[in-house]
Amino acid sequence: MARVLVADDSETILLLLRTRLEMEGHEVETAADGQEVVDAVDVAAATHDIFLLDAMMPHKSGIDALRELRGAGVETPTLIVSAHTDGGNGEDHESLDIAGYVSKPIDFPQLFTLIDELTR
Amino acid sequence: MIGVARFLQQRQDFENATTRSYQSEIEARNRLARGERPAAARATIASQQSRRQALRNEISSETRDTALLVGAGLIAGLTGAALLFTGLISSMRRPLEDLVEASGRLAGGDLDARVDVGGLSETATLGSAFNEMAEELQRRAGERDQLERMKDEFVLTASHELRSPLTSVQGFAELLLLERERLDPKQAETVEVILDNTRHLTRLLNDLLDLARSDAGRLAIKPVPTDAAQLAEEAVRTMRAQFDARAQRLELEIEPGLPRIEADRDRIRQVLVNLLTNANEYCPERAGIGVKVSRNGADVEIDVSDDGPGIPEDQLAHIFERFSRGDAGETQRVGGTGLGLAISKSLVELHGGTIGAESAPGEGSTFRIRLPAIASADRTEVS
Repeated sequence: MARVLVADDSETILLLLRTRLEMEGHEVETAADGQEVVDAVDVAAATHDIFLLDAMMPHKSGIDALRELRGAGVETPTLIVSAHTDGGNGEDHESLDIAGYVSKPIDFPQLFTLIDELTR
Repeated sequence: MIGVARFLQQRQDFENATTRSYQSEIEARNRLARGERPAAARATIASQQSRRQALRNEISSETRDTALLVGAGLIAGLTGAALLFTGLISSMRRPLEDLVEASGRLAGGDLDARVDVGGLSETATLGSAFNEMAEELQRRAGERDQLERMKDEFVLTASHELRSPLTSVQGFAELLLLERERLDPKQAETVEVILDNTRHLTRLLNDLLDLARSDAGRLAIKPVPTDAAQLAEEAVRTMRAQFDARAQRLELEIEPGLPRIEADRDRIRQVLVNLLTNANEYCPERAGIGVKVSRNGADVEIDVSDDGPGIPEDQLAHIFERFSRGDAGETQRVGGTGLGLAISKSLVELHGGTIGAESAPGEGSTFRIRLPAIASADRTEVS
């Protein structure tokens, strides 16, 4: 069981992710944009085991939120959900310590395996 | 040319006077023959002959004078014209040479090509016209590039935006199927149909995205030293179930001791899966499909062949073009995107390789990929 912070600007996708992850026995907290992600994370206490962030969200993207959190010293493993089939640019990948990319539509068995590997 | 007109008039007067003189002489000779006043007739004949002699003397001297005059005029005129032309030509040559040179550069794609506008008004006008044309060409090329970029951006954005609803549809359909035991068979089948179609849409979106990237020069590969045989095995493994479902034989033949290739593993696997998917879908049930990995000179060759219906010559010529597909009935049954082979070609070419097809109706088809092997100096034999 992992404590997962999920961020996506689509309510239906958040509902889908919450449902599937909870069915797998994970504890899920959701955020609708990058700012909600930053607000949800308590830097001092390790409140989440893994972040699952959509790369493109209005106001503040998942990448921008992660950059802010990494800057504040948060080391939580992070998966970036991207509509594009390939990952973001290599620079972000290195400097933001992104553990992996999940493309849409989501391959759930693959996502569950990734989460298990990263939170073991 | 007053000289010429005068000359012609003189000739005419001379001809008229001479004719009249001959007529008088002939009339006099007729009278002489009839014996009418012979002395007067003889006098007329003699006077007409001397009159014509006088006329001839007069015309020859006048003609000579006029011819001289006209000739001198012509020579002077021609000399003047020649001098004028020499001057004109030398002052036009430089701007014309510039124009020729700039036209060459423009035709060669240098849209910055312009000429200096100056000198004679004619060449200056020509130069300005050329510069305006070049300006217009450059403006249109700019607009075209911008349209191309907008199109690429549009496809990328559309593909991105379509993915979110597609994710929801597919995700919730999968959720329903997880509760399969609570659905009746008809409902379960309905959900399967939804899922099949979301998978098809995903494939279409991925293909469109690849094509847009390819057009924008942004289709990137990350090649690493790779065992081609292993990629073929993986592709065959991925597709095995589909072949079994249609009772088709799928055989893999690998030549031992193959050199490695530099390849983006995901992308070459994608090409192989695409070729196998085509064979699976276009061949009838119980058809035989073979994958053969071998060495050919400095290349590693991967053949995907089948004993299916084959491809007519007219379709074979266009098979790697986007949205080029088999006949309408077949493609409706098969339901591919019509983009797979076009993308496969781009991907193989990005690897410095080639892809081709051989086929004849009734004799099956062979698709052949050739990828350059890593040079033998740093060659690692595959165990």
